Amino acid sequence: MKKVMMGNHAVSYGARLSRVDVIAAYPITPQTQIVEELSELCADGKLDAKFIKVESEHSAMASCMGASAAGGRAFTATSSQGLALMHELLHFSSGGRLPIVMANVNRALGPGWNIWTEQTDSLAQRDTGWLQFYCENNQEVLDTVIMSYKIAEQLSLPVMLVLDAFILSHTYEIVDIPEQEAIDGYLPPYKPEIKMDVDNPHAFGALVTPDHYYEIRYKLQETMDRAPEVARKAGEEYGKLVGRPYDIVEPYMLDDADVVIVAAGTLVSNSRAVINEYREKGIKVGLLKLRMFRPFPTKRVRELLAGKKKIAVIDRNISFGATGIFYQELKAALYGQNNGAGSPDIFGFIIGLGGRDVTLEDIAEIVDYTLEKEKNEEDIIWMGLKR
Amino acid sequence: MNHVDIQPRIPEPELMYSGHLACPGCGASLAMRYALKALGNNTMVIIPACCWSIIAGPFPYSALGVPIYHTAFETAAAVASGMKAALDQQGKSDVTVMAWAGDGGTYDIGFQALSGAAERNEDFLYVCYDNEAYMNTGIQRSSSTPFGAWTTTTPENHRKERPKKDIVGILAAHRIPYLATVSVAYPEDFIRKFQKARSIRGMKFIQILSPCPPGWKTADDQSIHISRLAVESRIFPLLEIEHGEKYTLNLEPEGISVRDYLEAQGRFRKLSEQDVAYIQNEVDRKWEMLKRQVS
Amino acid sequence: MSKKITFTSIADLPPLVVSMGTTEVNATGSWRYLRPVYHDKTAPCIEGCPASEDIEQYMYWAARGDFDKAWEVLVEENPFPAVCGRVCYHPCESSCNRDHFDQSLGINSIERFIGDHGLEFSLDRFKVAEEREQKIAVAGAGPAGLAAAYHLRRLGYQVTVYEKEEKPGGILQYGIPRYRLPKHILEAEIMRLERFGVEIKTGVQVGKDIPWNEFLQHDAVFLAVGVHKSRKLNVPGEDLDGVIAGLDFLSRINSGEDVSLGKNVAVIGGGNTAMDAVRTALRLGSTPAIYYRRTRAEMPAILDEIEEAEREGIPMEFLVTPVELIGENGALKAMKLQRMELGEPDESGRRRPVPVEGSEYVVEVDNVITAIGEQGDFTSIPEKLIEWGVVKSDAFGQTEQRPVFAGGDIIEQPHTVVHAIGSGKKAAMAIHAYLNGGDIATLADKIHVGNKGGVSFLRFRDGHEGDPVDNHEVVTFENINTSYFTRKDRHQVPELDVKTRITNFEEVKGTIDREAAMDEALRCFNCGVCNMCDNCLVFCPDVAIKRRDDRFRYEIDYAYCKGCGICVVECPRSALSLVPEGK
Ligand SMILES: Cc1cc2nc3c(=O)[nH]c(=O)nc-3n(C[C@H](O)[C@H](O)[C@H](O)COP(=O)(O)OP(=O)(O)OC[C@H]3O[C@@H](n4cnc5c(N)ncnc54)[C@H](O)[C@@H]3O)c2cc1C
Ligand SMILES: Cc1ncc(C[n+]2csc(CCOP(=O)(O)OP(=O)(O)O)c2C)c(N)n1
Ligand code: SF4
Ligand code: SF4
Ligand code: SF4
Ligand SMILES: [Mg+2]
Repeated sequence: MKKVMMGNHAVSYGARLSRVDVIAAYPITPQTQIVEELSELCADGKLDAKFIKVESEHSAMASCMGASAAGGRAFTATSSQGLALMHELLHFSSGGRLPIVMANVNRALGPGWNIWTEQTDSLAQRDTGWLQFYCENNQEVLDTVIMSYKIAEQLSLPVMLVLDAFILSHTYEIVDIPEQEAIDGYLPPYKPEIKMDVDNPHAFGALVTPDHYYEIRYKLQETMDRAPEVARKAGEEYGKLVGRPYDIVEPYMLDDADVVIVAAGTLVSNSRAVINEYREKGIKVGLLKLRMFRPFPTKRVRELLAGKKKIAVIDRNISFGATGIFYQELKAALYGQNNGAGSPDIFGFIIGLGGRDVTLEDIAEIVDYTLEKEKNEEDIIWMGLKR
Repeated sequence: MNHVDIQPRIPEPELMYSGHLACPGCGASLAMRYALKALGNNTMVIIPACCWSIIAGPFPYSALGVPIYHTAFETAAAVASGMKAALDQQGKSDVTVMAWAGDGGTYDIGFQALSGAAERNEDFLYVCYDNEAYMNTGIQRSSSTPFGAWTTTTPENHRKERPKKDIVGILAAHRIPYLATVSVAYPEDFIRKFQKARSIRGMKFIQILSPCPPGWKTADDQSIHISRLAVESRIFPLLEIEHGEKYTLNLEPEGISVRDYLEAQGRFRKLSEQDVAYIQNEVDRKWEMLKRQVS
Repeated sequence: MSKKITFTSIADLPPLVVSMGTTEVNATGSWRYLRPVYHDKTAPCIEGCPASEDIEQYMYWAARGDFDKAWEVLVEENPFPAVCGRVCYHPCESSCNRDHFDQSLGINSIERFIGDHGLEFSLDRFKVAEEREQKIAVAGAGPAGLAAAYHLRRLGYQVTVYEKEEKPGGILQYGIPRYRLPKHILEAEIMRLERFGVEIKTGVQVGKDIPWNEFLQHDAVFLAVGVHKSRKLNVPGEDLDGVIAGLDFLSRINSGEDVSLGKNVAVIGGGNTAMDAVRTALRLGSTPAIYYRRTRAEMPAILDEIEEAEREGIPMEFLVTPVELIGENGALKAMKLQRMELGEPDESGRRRPVPVEGSEYVVEVDNVITAIGEQGDFTSIPEKLIEWGVVKSDAFGQTEQRPVFAGGDIIEQPHTVVHAIGSGKKAAMAIHAYLNGGDIATLADKIHVGNKGGVSFLRFRDGHEGDPVDNHEVVTFENINTSYFTRKDRHQVPELDVKTRITNFEEVKGTIDREAAMDEALRCFNCGVCNMCDNCLVFCPDVAIKRRDDRFRYEIDYAYCKGCGICVVECPRSALSLVPEGK
């Protein structure tokens, strides 16, 4: 069934189709409609879930932890300040191997209150042990919620899916809502191997000495290493089911491209449009869409970008004192490839912080800059900065 | 000598194991022992950062015969809310979820989550074992630390100037279905209240005055004695409050001087005569207030 | 104990921090530097009882309503609970720790209930250890002689008691009036001994009807002939008609003789004989009064008896002594008294009364009953055994001549029924040791109860096994954790009102009822002996105390006990001790 809906509602529908047991969330612009819609769905009995209207995002995540630990499928959604407030518990939930799914609407952080889109909030949580997926449109948002559970529950790790504030969250698009039956086949009820169980009592998360902590952390990383494969399969399988396959990274006109744009979220759509224009002019520009950011899909990125000469990374975020975050990560992934010989020149563009519009012209400028420059000379190329 | 048939005073099954890591004479460990005797094994325990995080034993061991979820310092009430919700969803509403936090995790850092859960009337039991300071981190003051007490952050020449926060009053103001105070020196009362709490739906809050020999500067063998003095001196009244309005005083001690309680503990060593008089005054005043609330 | 878990490879480790065993792997007992031990101690009441009754134990059973058991415990040490429950001056009660809390326990009234219970249900489950050939003779069927006979019989000996009077019981029979000790009670308790195989031959005076040498033919003999000769006033007129010796007077009344007294009867003295005589005279219709040369505080009579005499309205004149009895035609008419004042303390520690010159005065009297003490009549006992008016003996009644043992009033000890009973028990043990080639002195440490000379027969016979009181450490009030007790007055003993009682010889005091006995016994702290109140078990923060498999008492798991000492402090009765680790 197709429906015109805003990104936030796509999140809610995704959660509903995933038959979540427990929702704990706290409102924040631009995420509020997720919460509102889920409240309605629960109230109307369209979703058989307990919605805990907690008093903070911190408690939202804590409640999800409790629910998940007891074997429930838990969901939350937040943004920006809320995500930052949760930070401690992001570590707790991944360390506790709890397959919680959270939607984060990308929004800039204060001070200077700013409710508009920016990727720094989610990217700043990259070291917490959560998987991260960035969505390009509302359809992908809905589908990613469902796939996230599929992946999270196989790995016993939490997953964050990310959508841009307003550009997706509040923008209405046509979304195909899959049949519940089909989704039920894809996503069976959550049955963890070990959970809080009075018949089989265990203590979870106790004091652990240096004797064992290290190895248990190693195990978490081992699981992360498996995540790209699991995620790819989940996307493939989902594709077979609903006709929309997903991968962890998605190339567009990449094969023969001289310049490759690397982007995530709605920046991908802008890039796609610009690439089409350039291709018409015969200029070989291609795109690599990063859907998965954590774990970083290093292997796929290396395969797909092998032999490329110039790469333009577009970051709507910044790691202060360093660079754009996608830029850092990509550089690190490609470092020393091909024995250092043919490794590409990577350009790092920062753009649109705090929701500043990113126009097609802006992207074209990025492409032109990259085409023009023989070598990258700066760590940050500030786009649209009013100097 | 033969003997008559033994009628155990409190339930016999033990759900807490020996070999736990509490200090000798720790009131908090005894409290858990009673609590689980009362609640039985259909119970899940949530423990935020506190002494009990250590007492419960390091990986891969556990001191309890029921499941434990160790969680972040300020999250007990929120984790409990979620856990209960998930159990309800699985048709396991008969499981008692017990959040078990220290005073730091209750009065201070976990206060918001607690208040939230209380206001929502979540169906779990929140227990604060109140040893009146942050003991796990080495005896720092909390908002539960009483007036005049020494801690490492309220040193002897700058002891705590403000009174202990009235957590019972605050929780009563949330009008939760059940609220009680218990003491390890009164095991029967303790167990009865936990069993009562188990039978009630909605939010339950139980405060345990929990003596801590290293933190209170008392001998290991004095924990019960001091707990009793606290009750007898009316510093720690044993009470129950239903729906924030129906008050019951479970014991009306004759009221020994607060001095007996204070002098038994090294942390009050530096109290002046005026301090003691002030404390006595406060205790008397609060007792009168309580009596009015009861009637 | 749960198993220690070791991980040999990373594959063994779970993916998250989850428990796989219990903390029982931690032997926290190694933290301990003080060790709690179950250590029963002696209750002060038991130490205070000259017959060393295991009061604490029978209180335990009485509190639970098992009076058969209570009786059995009691008669291990004393065969006369119904008698002692009436006439004993109960020094146990003055030693009772509960006295410091509210009021001492009504031990004596419970003892009486238990004694009566034994009679009512004809309890006589005495056990003879093993029959023995040896024959033992006892001279005197007073409490000392009968107690010795009882314990000797239990040890298996063939015992014959020779009693010069017509009936056994000694002063219990002929001295103490029936309004205090009804004869059927006394006789029932004595008959029980006879049924048990103690032979009592009355009307046989040792030294006369059986010559001394013949008497000595037994394997051992026990002398307990008592002291019955009234002391003389040594004043002019003592031979006048109307002057009667106190014990004679009581003896005649107790034998059923009619003794006619005049109206004004003066009883001289302040001891038990004086009190019994004066109250008897009252019941015979006279108007008696007490004349005593010191003050009330120095009176040697049992305090209860003095109080009862006072309540019965008997006037008492203190600090006076008769200096002359004045007669008319050979019959007593008046008595001249001299006032006294208290001077320096004498050898008994009491202040010596000294006459006040010129203070003489005269009162009219019809009778004077002398009751200033009794002396032994040792005409039938070899002289070498006597010294300072008593039979020379050690603490166990061993005289210098084997096989002669002695006890009761004729040896150096307080003249009380319970001391007499205690001395009979001690002599029985000494005789047993003697006949088996042993020496009782070597056993003293093992059988002593507390530090006041009392000994336990149970422990003598059975050793320490099964005997809870296994050391002499006496529990003081400070050792009691009074938090576990609530104040409660002791039960009052029922009694006849004064008006009715003084017209007859009905028993004045009654026996408390069963509920009262249980209730009163519940007041007992059970000093020093675990009564399974569960406090230690309940309060151990380390779950280190377990009920024993047979559910009798507890054991401490030293693998885990951290030695906090809470169990020791919270034991209400000091049945645990904390000792340094490694000792
Ligand atoms: C009037 C009175 C009241 C008392 N009241 C109390 C009281 O209330 N509580 C208390 O504790 N104490 C009381 N006493 C003291 C107590 O009765 C004695 O201490 C106790 O009876 C001593 O016991 P006994 O066996 O040594 O001697 P006795 O009781 O005197 O018994 C000795 C027995 O030996 C017999 N006898 C004597 N010579 C011979 C012989 N040659 N051959 C065979 N038999 C012989 C006597 O006839 C007598 O039966 C009282 C004493 C008196 C006199
Ligand atoms: C967010 C956070 N801040 C601080 C700490 C450090 N910390 C651990 S336990 C504790 C004190 C606990 O005090 P309380 O709740 O009273 O329990 P107690 O240790 O006294 O039993 C503190 C400050 C922490 N674990 N987490
Ligand atoms: S520090 Fe205090 S509360 Fe903590 S384990 Fe020790 S005694 Fe118990
Ligand atoms: S309280 Fe009981 S055991 Fe203790 S001294 Fe008194 S009678 Fe004896
Ligand atoms: S209460 Fe327990 S841990 Fe403490 S001393 Fe007694 S047995 Fe040992
Ligand atoms: Mg604390």
